[in-house]
Amino acid sequence: MATPAATPETTGAETTGVETTGVETIRTWLTERVAYFLDVRPQDIAADDLLVEIGLDSVYALTLCGDVEDEFGILVEATLAWDHPTIDALTAHIHSELAAR
Amino acid sequence: MTEPQLAPPRRYAPYDRAGGFDRSLGHPARRDLPFFAARMRELDAAEAFPTEAVARLDALGLPAQYVPARHGGTLDSYEDLLQLVRVVARRDLTVAIAHTKTYLGAVSTWVGGTAEQAQELGARIASGAVVSWGLTERAHGSDLLSGELTATPVAGGYRLDGEKWLINNATRSDLVCVLARTSLAGGTRGYSLLLVDKALLADGSHTCLPAAKTHGIRGADISGIAFDGAVVPASALIGEEGEGIETVLRSLQITRTICASLSLGAGDHALRIATRFGLEHRLYGKRLIDLPQAHRALTEAYADLFAMEAVTLLASRGVHTLTEEMSVSSAAVKYLVPTTADELITGMGQFLGARSFLSEEFAHGLFAKLERDHRIVGIFDGNTLVNLNALINQFAALARGYRAGRTDAEGLAAAAMLDAQIPVFDPARLQLTSRTGNSVAASLPRAVAELRELVTSGEAPESLLTVAEKLLRISDTTHEQMAAHRPSPRDVPAAAFDLAHRYTLCSAAAACLQVWLRNRTTVAADTTATAGLWQDGLWAEAALCRLAERLTPGTLPEEGADGSAVLDRLMPLLVEQYDSGEMFSLLPFPLAEAAGSLAEEAS
Repeated sequence: MATPAATPETTGAETTGVETTGVETIRTWLTERVAYFLDVRPQDIAADDLLVEIGLDSVYALTLCGDVEDEFGILVEATLAWDHPTIDALTAHIHSELAAR
Repeated sequence: MTEPQLAPPRRYAPYDRAGGFDRSLGHPARRDLPFFAARMRELDAAEAFPTEAVARLDALGLPAQYVPARHGGTLDSYEDLLQLVRVVARRDLTVAIAHTKTYLGAVSTWVGGTAEQAQELGARIASGAVVSWGLTERAHGSDLLSGELTATPVAGGYRLDGEKWLINNATRSDLVCVLARTSLAGGTRGYSLLLVDKALLADGSHTCLPAAKTHGIRGADISGIAFDGAVVPASALIGEEGEGIETVLRSLQITRTICASLSLGAGDHALRIATRFGLEHRLYGKRLIDLPQAHRALTEAYADLFAMEAVTLLASRGVHTLTEEMSVSSAAVKYLVPTTADELITGMGQFLGARSFLSEEFAHGLFAKLERDHRIVGIFDGNTLVNLNALINQFAALARGYRAGRTDAEGLAAAAMLDAQIPVFDPARLQLTSRTGNSVAASLPRAVAELRELVTSGEAPESLLTVAEKLLRISDTTHEQMAAHRPSPRDVPAAAFDLAHRYTLCSAAAACLQVWLRNRTTVAADTTATAGLWQDGLWAEAALCRLAERLTPGTLPEEGADGSAVLDRLMPLLVEQYDSGEMFSLLPFPLAEAAGSLAEEAS
């Protein structure tokens, strides 16, 4: 699937395998996605930073759900990043959703 | 009955109900009725609340129309509600805004409250309670995440401290639905909604703040309310703690759609005043309306009104059938329709010349009043920038959906076929973002293909296809540019706002084609009153020419599509609709003005 706003290295991740996507894969993808949006380097984002405090606008945070759905093939609430406000929290949630499939 | 059984004529049912409502309000020139037009202007000049007109709406049962049928009211279609509000708005915007506020105050309870809370509030509204919606604060305007009014848990409920400001009906209301901070840190999960019954507050724990002086809607109660240790019971909480922002955003999707009715009503009123003047005023021995410049001003407004009506018809039916897409459709409607109406009103003001500024001498000063009053429509309930920003945030998904031709075909067809039954509205389907993008905008390529076949079979004129294809090219390019837009955390570039503006025009073109294609042989075919508008796609071509003109000013003649000829063909139909006392509309709507003489008693 073409994701126009995605960085090249994050498109087409393997999402169809039976294996549950690993925690590290999820965390890395999320960090790159947020870094791309904030226009900073991935290493500048700590996994326990509150996303809203490092500049992720609350309305834009809603659109993160679409990226997550496309990448991992799961349905998530638009308020995903409101209820799981750090990279760590998002990773844990997505991982458990993937495991529950 | 000995007649053979014929299929009943297909009608646009919401107009039957709204038409009856309009007639029961009576002729606006009757001095003895609450909606007497000159009286409206006098009240405005005195900054006095239109008490009698509002009471008349109460007596006619409009409040029950704000309450969903499942909660004991008569609201079963948002399309009906929108057409009823339009009827009030074309007479007086101040009254419409003052009265419908009760729906805005209640909607959060319909969307986020329990069945018990909704039932209870429904009963209060049906028995005349006025409800207000307290979102904004003096220091923060529409930035809801900065709100400082707090709700602190105490024994038996919550204690409210702080104030809400520039709130419609803050003083008049019996109940106020307040957005309050329930977590010190604030944030998207830091706010909750509480439905405050003023009568139950301890003495001295709340004060209503004096009404603000406003540019328009001068008679409305635009004031504030301050709480100082006001304790409300725990049952006042709507939804869970922390759900306030989410419930507000979902509720706004409905109210932003309904706002279009205010603009449609104001547009009809402005064009009506201008048409009357054009017919009565003579210049150089001719009627003003027969001079080319005047002619053009009126037909452009007429075509723009049709485009807005088509957009609004789809959006209001879409509340029921394309509910999941309303984060997009409501923002597009709330941006485009009030903006277009403001431009229409400005154009009519230029047409009227100096008369448009007269506060008494011309048409009772009603034009100057409606121009002032309508300005607020683009500002409240999310201003133009807020709405464009909501679209910009979904550019990537909208562009993907368009490219893939992704539409909710069933929901779109049900929205576009004006005589089709629509399902009961389910607020649980409201989403903060749209997974399917915008079915209306994404339907354009297929609609143009369908039109191409109709031209081949001789059922549609080549000229309609020419302008539709031009708009399709613009729409393709616009979506490509949206796909290339790189989201940024702050300082959204001006170009993105321009792109979002163009997107709403492309989506409007798609709406016009859907409404024409899906109804030309059904609802439209069963009426003689508006047949001329539908024949050969006349209104659709005129509306599309105007949208194309706004997207690429001045290019139509070069490409051979003569946009001016199609506008000229609208004039006899405009005059006919005016003379026969019909509302300016794609479908027949006989107004109270036409129903009888001034002497006739209103029911």
